[in-house]
Amino acid sequence: MNEGVPAASSAELVEDLFRKEYAHLVSALTRVLGPSNIPLAEDVVEDALVSAMNAWRFGLPQDPKAWIIRVARNRAIDIIRREQRQRSFLPEVATTTALTGTIEAALAPAAEGASQLAMMFAVCDPSLNPETHVTGILRWLCGLSPKEIGHAFLADTQTIDRRLHRGRGRLRQLGRLPDVENLPDLATRRDSVLRALYLLFNEGYHGSNPLEPVRPFLCEDALRLTELLLDARTTAHPDVRAMAALFCFDAARLPARLDGHGVFVPLQDQDRNRWDRARIERGLMHLARSATGGHMSRWHLEAGIACEHAVAPSIQQTDWGRIVGFYQILAQQSWSPVVALNLALALAERDGIEEGRRELTALAGEPKLSRYPFYWAARADLERRAGRHTAAREYYQQAIGLARSPAERVSFERRIESLENP
Amino acid sequence: MMPESGSEELALRRKFMLIFRGGAVTRHDLSPSELQAHVEKWYRWSDGLTRQGRASDAGTALDNPGATIRGVERVVTDGPYAESKDLVTGSLVIKAASLEDAIDVARTCPAYEFGGSVEVRPVQG
Repeated sequence: MNEGVPAASSAELVEDLFRKEYAHLVSALTRVLGPSNIPLAEDVVEDALVSAMNAWRFGLPQDPKAWIIRVARNRAIDIIRREQRQRSFLPEVATTTALTGTIEAALAPAAEGASQLAMMFAVCDPSLNPETHVTGILRWLCGLSPKEIGHAFLADTQTIDRRLHRGRGRLRQLGRLPDVENLPDLATRRDSVLRALYLLFNEGYHGSNPLEPVRPFLCEDALRLTELLLDARTTAHPDVRAMAALFCFDAARLPARLDGHGVFVPLQDQDRNRWDRARIERGLMHLARSATGGHMSRWHLEAGIACEHAVAPSIQQTDWGRIVGFYQILAQQSWSPVVALNLALALAERDGIEEGRRELTALAGEPKLSRYPFYWAARADLERRAGRHTAAREYYQQAIGLARSPAERVSFERRIESLENP
Repeated sequence: MMPESGSEELALRRKFMLIFRGGAVTRHDLSPSELQAHVEKWYRWSDGLTRQGRASDAGTALDNPGATIRGVERVVTDGPYAESKDLVTGSLVIKAASLEDAIDVARTCPAYEFGGSVEVRPVQG
């Protein structure tokens, strides 16, 4: 398996190559062998990656991706030849004559996008719940192990394994991963896929694990998979464009979200020079192209809001009027306590602190907000700006009591320190 | 520990083979990210040896399964029989000043992260 002469020394592997190839090859093999063979696909790809790890210890091959594909192909063909009688494969690979050619074509980089789309739309089956959708995406399209997924969601590995088991069971019933062109319920599945990618992005942006609430690679994966949908004519819907725009604008702010101590930096204190300009440009491109079809989805509105923040030179120079407008439509379409909270804060900027305080006080009875640390921090911020430092201190204490991570807690504690002594 | 530059040619005159056993290859519970992080440590390590002028061959990685032939009857059996922790996964010939020096080099390799071991043997001749 050695390539002979290793590539130039100090060569670097593409970031997350192993994870990405896991996703590529498991999807491709599942598509060509049928979903009842997901475990076989997983084994073949794991073996290929272990082989790569062993062989590359003393130097990288010229083309690492091609190397992994070749090993996975050979291993898949060996196993299929050996187990043809015991297992049921799709007719394409059931005859030995066409086997090599079929596997070769299935694993080729040219088919990568189609395989991953087919896998994603199969995983986001309407009969499975959103947690199972995200878990399946993290496993089969991001290449995370059940343990790593559990770490992200603060769930134990058995819970994750149960979800994956449910997912595999449903995929088996499908009998085959349909290509997105042939899906009768494409629109329903697309909505599920978008919701799952939104959850995936949020898990990276403000995740549930208190020790590591920000994990940019999950945001990157969500954006990569969203852009995969845009590459295919059937799935390149304006809603998908809007979501890609939203992810670009939010991901652009990632470099400034945590300070050197891993503490959340509020938007008004972020160093905007550290925002990723190229990302913002890409977001603007997506947003411009999302404006077709005449309907404003939730993702369009959220992208519009994120865009206003991304292009504003400062909090004061932000177009709060437009942001209020977007939140108002969002609240009409799908009201939620968090949307109401954000609308109140935007009103405080547009119409003045007193207006914002009135709105926030009116939300005090919302059970979800009374447990949400950022609701209390928002109230505290407005009290502080209105000069009522005693009330501010009280609300910051509430926020600290509800904080879910050190990154949140220290962020609120710092704001208390900025208050005048009582 | 490491010979000073300038004296290297003279000092690194002996060859040693490092024989790697067990470790990550024999584990079946490592995620793609863990495998990538591990191999990155390995080739940073072997690359460092090359830059120090210690590499004597390009390293050999061994794949599975293989066969073993033994006895006057030349009986062929599948695969090495070793327990996974004793399974030879590869080797690398390095130049070192002495056995102690070669051991110091071997101690810096990433094999131990996942329970591997390294045998250091002088190359004859």
